[in-house]
Amino acid sequence: MSTPIRNTAAMTATTTSPAPTRRRSKKPIGGWRWAGRGILAFLLLFTALPMVWMVITSLKTQLAALQYPPQWWPNEVTFENYVQLLSPNNAVGHEFLQYFWNSFYVSILSTILGVVIAVPAAYAFSRFRFPGRQALFFSVLLRNMFPAVVFLMPLFLMMKWLGLVNTHGSLILTYLTFGLPLSIWLLKGFYDNIPIQLEQAARIDGATRFQAFFHIVMPLSSPGIIATAIYAFIMAWNEYVYALTFLNSKDKLTLPVGLQRFFSEYATNWPGLMAASFIMSVPVVVLFLVLQKYFVRALTEGAVKS
Amino acid sequence: MAEVVLNEVVKTYGDIYAVNHVSLTVADGEFVALVGPSGCGKTTTLSLIAGLNEISGGEIHIGGRLVNDLDPKDRDIAMVFQNYALYPNKTVFKNLAFPLQMRKLAKAEIERKVLSAAKVLDITHLLERKPRELSGGQQQRVALGRALVRDPRVFLMDEPLSNLDAKLRVQMRTELKRFHQDLEATVVYVTHDQLEAVTMADKMAVMHGGFLQQYDSPKNVFDNPVNMFVASFVGSPAMSLVPLEAVSHGSDVALRSPEGWELPLSPQNARKALGATSNQVVLGARHSTVKLHSAQTPGAVPGVVYTVEPTGDITFVQVFLGTSVVIVSLDPSVTVHPDQKVWIEFDQDKIHLFDGATELALAAV
Amino acid sequence: MTIDVAHQGGAVPAPSLRRRPNLLRRIVRHWNDYAYIAPAIVVMLLVIGYPIYYTVELSFFKTPPNLAMSQKVFVGFDNYRAILTSQSFRDVTYNTLIWTVVSTFFAYVLGLGAALALNREFLGRGVLRAVLLVPYVISAVAASYVWKWLYHSDFGVIGALSVQFGFTDEPINFLDNIYTALPSLIVVNIWKEFSFAMIMLLAGLQTVPDQLLRAAQVDGANTWQRFWHVTMPHLKGVSMVTILLLVVTNLNSFIIPWIMTGGGPAGATDIWITQIYQMAFGRIRFGMASAYSVILFIVMMALGYFYVKALTRGDEAKSE
Repeated sequence: MSTPIRNTAAMTATTTSPAPTRRRSKKPIGGWRWAGRGILAFLLLFTALPMVWMVITSLKTQLAALQYPPQWWPNEVTFENYVQLLSPNNAVGHEFLQYFWNSFYVSILSTILGVVIAVPAAYAFSRFRFPGRQALFFSVLLRNMFPAVVFLMPLFLMMKWLGLVNTHGSLILTYLTFGLPLSIWLLKGFYDNIPIQLEQAARIDGATRFQAFFHIVMPLSSPGIIATAIYAFIMAWNEYVYALTFLNSKDKLTLPVGLQRFFSEYATNWPGLMAASFIMSVPVVVLFLVLQKYFVRALTEGAVKS
Repeated sequence: MAEVVLNEVVKTYGDIYAVNHVSLTVADGEFVALVGPSGCGKTTTLSLIAGLNEISGGEIHIGGRLVNDLDPKDRDIAMVFQNYALYPNKTVFKNLAFPLQMRKLAKAEIERKVLSAAKVLDITHLLERKPRELSGGQQQRVALGRALVRDPRVFLMDEPLSNLDAKLRVQMRTELKRFHQDLEATVVYVTHDQLEAVTMADKMAVMHGGFLQQYDSPKNVFDNPVNMFVASFVGSPAMSLVPLEAVSHGSDVALRSPEGWELPLSPQNARKALGATSNQVVLGARHSTVKLHSAQTPGAVPGVVYTVEPTGDITFVQVFLGTSVVIVSLDPSVTVHPDQKVWIEFDQDKIHLFDGATELALAAV
Repeated sequence: MTIDVAHQGGAVPAPSLRRRPNLLRRIVRHWNDYAYIAPAIVVMLLVIGYPIYYTVELSFFKTPPNLAMSQKVFVGFDNYRAILTSQSFRDVTYNTLIWTVVSTFFAYVLGLGAALALNREFLGRGVLRAVLLVPYVISAVAASYVWKWLYHSDFGVIGALSVQFGFTDEPINFLDNIYTALPSLIVVNIWKEFSFAMIMLLAGLQTVPDQLLRAAQVDGANTWQRFWHVTMPHLKGVSMVTILLLVVTNLNSFIIPWIMTGGGPAGATDIWITQIYQMAFGRIRFGMASAYSVILFIVMMALGYFYVKALTRGDEAKSE
């Protein structure tokens, strides 16, 4: 036992005064700020111009696109390419909408399943201390490191063995695991921030551990679940390598792979391809813009938290 | 309401004892405060009673029933948390209703109970608000309401006042005490603030390093601390402790300082000092029992004033006796300055003597 | 509520200390907790654990082109020997290094510049940030086609512009030239991923205490000194993680080179992953491709070690 006899001498330590707050200087905007604006302007052009050119091209006829020097703005703006892709009655549109639906269906299903599995796992990693917890968690994270192609061959053989080649099941199963490590990591961050006392209070109030989780913790972690879901959806929507390898019949293809067929089969219809690329980007960009806050959080959570 | 009995309770984390063979009985309707510095095991002890932590050894009985392996929900307890732990996504009404819902009470019954609890705590006008829209004091009441609403057998409180500002804390302290008296509830109350314990509790259990140091009424703990830790922990300002050396001159015994002055002991205190395991004896004195003289006085020992802290009705003076500090309280009308040479007189009937080696209080044989 | 653990000395362990339960007992005691992670473990064992094992196994075999694995032949380290001694492996590794290092460097530098410039309030800041992030969220396949069109040898807008401004006399054939193909692809890659670095570093900048910057200002530090002595040290952790993630992503790149050039011309844009894919699904040599994968795997494990270290540093600091 210690004897806390007050050591008065320690009290003489001078208290540091807080740094004086200063009003922001009114000096003319310095060179650094101009440099910052220059960088932003350059990056804005770098980022936006290719996308702008994609849209402009998609509004041209094929003939107008294949001109040199290019028409900077189409002489004749046409929406023909979009109409063709989106009308289910012609062959091209029918095929494209099929790809679109396939992508949507695969992405949404793998996202939902992913969340259902990730939520309890992340919760467990955040709350419980059980043997092997640490090792498990790092193995989860390490999945991030391995290239898709490395898993491609064994998974292809496995899917063949399971009879899942050329089914959407193979993609859903794969995308599920794709998203899991990050989802778990991300959700764990959210659960870490929910005070454990809330659950303890619930358990004392008569809830079982599961009820405490379901009634109290789950609703509080919904931002995390949304963030996770968006991330998983976008990843699945954009995935190419597995879809390229696992699927071969035309009616099963997802958009990224379908786009390629489109490209080769219709003899480089550039305006059509640009229109298809545009339509394909719409769902993810809209999702991203609407739920930007969550998406950014999904990206940065964990790495930045000190 | 019910009695709570802890019997040789142990909680270990790996090789570390967070709670080390603690035994105590909280009688039915008693208000017991678990106090100690942070890390002393008091909160862990409370968690063990609540069933939030798994017990490593010993037994806990609530109302005569062994609860070691019961889930928190089956122990029929209520708990108020330091940060209140109000469910942020639920309104105040739903916060209060939650424990009743979990017990599957009828809707009308729930409403009746919530409203009556809200009335008692004067939070009826807040029922539709979310916790984040409440002030600290209001949150505190809601937390209390959630505990109150279902008539538990024992109330557990984990530093419920520590997040409030000083003024509100004093006010809530009074209300909590009143609440306990009205309900005749069994309360186990954790705090690091000994003043809260002293003012509210029927009994206080002082913990340190996982061990229960002393379990007694606040008055007894204050008057007869069993060891130097309790002596220095309970009371504000803390009891001054001066390590000295016991020397005998024939039948007389005195305490000698490293500087050379000697403090003769009364026969009663002399017998205590002789009971020490070595000649290392620590002298303890509360500020109110020490007198300050500006001139040399028989039986007083010399010191130098270090700081003078006026608080309004009392002025505290810290005096260096050699390397130890003694705190003396003075009437504000007395003027003393820092670095002034003074003489200190101890009241032989009110000083405490501790064994310098074991740190235990020395008793007259 | 922190768990009160006795730190003060003097707590002499009593003789009746219960023996620490052994691992098996603890696992049994916690079986309930495992139920939460069981689904995740099952899925991952199936789709991650097994493939890793199988890849390693296959790398020691010569596999038949019909993929009837019962006919595979054990060849020991032959696959590895063949790969490591081949000239193409050296060329592809060289390309991979250039691709990874240059992409990562520029993505990080541009991302840092953008993050610093965006780290003050101004009108349209949110919109700008969102626009810069769009390339990161759209499909790499779509991006590749868009850039392929921009680079088009006859009708590409980049070629036309460079003629317009008098840089060249006629449009450049970016993707069919062994000197320009790889740099052209790297530009696309940077376009796609610099905003990832930006968003990470922007979040990192939020952790730089304003007071510290003000204090430095009071102490007479100029903008550059404040950046170098106050801001950068705070970005160290985030930068580590960001760079590692960029390196990993770039080593794993497949879509951009595969769609834009297919590794050509004459292997000028062939990197490890495209090479492995070509070997496995073009030439159906799974054994060889598996050995290739294992090599890549080992490189990744080394990087993974640093990744985990960088990530857990934050965790440790938090628990102190």
